Amino acid sequence: MAEQFVSRGFVGKRRQGDQSKRLPPGQYLTDDFPVLSAGPTPRIALDKWVFTVDGLLKKKVEWTWQDFLKLPMQSFLVDISCVTKWTHLDMRWEGVSLDTLMEYIELDPKAMYVTASGHGGYTTNLPLTDIINAQAFIALKYDGRDLSPDHGGPARMVVPHLYFWKSAKWIRGLTFMEEDKRGFWESAGYHNHGDPWQEERYSSW
Amino acid sequence: MEEVALDLNHELMLDANAVAGTLFDIFGVEMTASPTECAHCGNEDDMGTLLAFTQGPGIVLRCSACGQVILRIVKTSDSVLLDARGAVYLRIMNPKPQPEGIPGENDSLGG
Amino acid sequence: MKSSIDWQIAMLTAVKPETPWVKSFTFSLPDWYRHKAGQHYDVRLTAEDGYQAQRSYSIASEPEREGEIDLTVERIKDGEVSTYFHDVLEPGDKVELRGPIGGYFVWEVGLLPEPLLLIAGGSGVVPLMAMLRHKAASHSKNPTHLLYSSRTFEDVIYFQELEKLNANGSGLKVFHTLTRGHPQGWKGFTRRLDAAMVQEVISPLGSGVQAFLCGPTRMVESAANALVELGLPAMQVRTERFGPSGPG
Repeated sequence: MAEQFVSRGFVGKRRQGDQSKRLPPGQYLTDDFPVLSAGPTPRIALDKWVFTVDGLLKKKVEWTWQDFLKLPMQSFLVDISCVTKWTHLDMRWEGVSLDTLMEYIELDPKAMYVTASGHGGYTTNLPLTDIINAQAFIALKYDGRDLSPDHGGPARMVVPHLYFWKSAKWIRGLTFMEEDKRGFWESAGYHNHGDPWQEERYSSW
Repeated sequence: MEEVALDLNHELMLDANAVAGTLFDIFGVEMTASPTECAHCGNEDDMGTLLAFTQGPGIVLRCSACGQVILRIVKTSDSVLLDARGAVYLRIMNPKPQPEGIPGENDSLGG
Repeated sequence: MKSSIDWQIAMLTAVKPETPWVKSFTFSLPDWYRHKAGQHYDVRLTAEDGYQAQRSYSIASEPEREGEIDLTVERIKDGEVSTYFHDVLEPGDKVELRGPIGGYFVWEVGLLPEPLLLIAGGSGVVPLMAMLRHKAASHSKNPTHLLYSSRTFEDVIYFQELEKLNANGSGLKVFHTLTRGHPQGWKGFTRRLDAAMVQEVISPLGSGVQAFLCGPTRMVESAANALVELGLPAMQVRTERFGPSGPG
């Protein structure tokens, strides 16, 4: 089989640096924040924004934007890895921890999985164990500024320990379920769990 | 007239002819001049009119009339996954018979 | 048996500066296939460690020029591939590419002298230039109007060549608009493309116009909307969105 042709003098934008211990396998470092999307930016008026938690709960819970802003906000400094191979270290976000939201709901003991839904039809699925204990948050700000619509504003979920497609943009709710249900990319060939450190990129057949 | 803030996500949206090469890899022939029908709204048009979102874990092609997903294409390390639930049909033209190995004299793929 | 869509190694034979940020690159192809104006080639760069970057570039040259193609590339700051083209490539270098690709955004001189409306924003003029060069090479006289939006006069790609084509009696008329500043004595438009400008350019062409629009997504959509509002059937409007500012 013919050897791959190599372009003289081409290096590309990536850098390795001495951060390589923080870099999951197969990833390269970037300082950029690429805009990634499966669809057009939904326009959500803040006075119509509602965050809904439903499914296997004692009672559905909803927050309007005003309600949401009253919740305790925290700062998060995290590394983000996207399955498209870039990793950006030390990204600064502000938002509400999922642990805070969990205080307001009474989970049915059968609830083992959650589906995160975004405006525009995007969904992604996660085990309950991956979103509690300081592993996930709803971000309202990035790098000190309100989260721009391109990047999922006004609010998106962020789950830093998994590939970034699990961090649903334009988040509008969480549904707790007994059975796992593959989301947008999980049902199109991507791995159901998505741990960058195990390089869980694609479904295995 | 008020300037709308640049929505980079919108600007990154392309027409499906931007992924014509990928579609050729999958189907073996030029697809952008072939028609397809949206399973959601019934709009029928050439695949070149589909809206392409290419900056992500996979390629998403959406109906230009209703915005619903028509095709999802994911390239894994050893395969290509195609989800075509959003299309009522895809029309894959027979490849044109090519005279043996005379570069420069074959028909181009334009069809 | 080779397919025209296989990757091949082409050789760069010439580089021509068009504007301070745009250059045209001539590639000689071992397996050249006659393309159609509007089609593109995919270019793939591979680093020593296997990392790859791939982009699509519209063919700038006419199909009548055999054995080689021109790709006109704008240098995007921080663009991975365009900076390689501008800053590293030299005549004699090899580049991996495949094509020609595309069946939707194409135009060929036909039996009918259909009126053509071409609307370009920035480097979106490249595939439309292939159409104009093809038209000139075929001596076609179909009425054609090009509306070309650029930031400043320095940014206008192919200005001299367009002036020549404008004047040679082939039925081509070129309308320029400069959106961020114009030289003294400038006779063209001096604002962003809008519905009134589109109407002014399309009206003299009459009916049965086939339109090709290429450039940044926002400009293409605004021009397409204007044409549809003017009553041009959607089937007669073909678009190629370039993304925010070219392929990078």
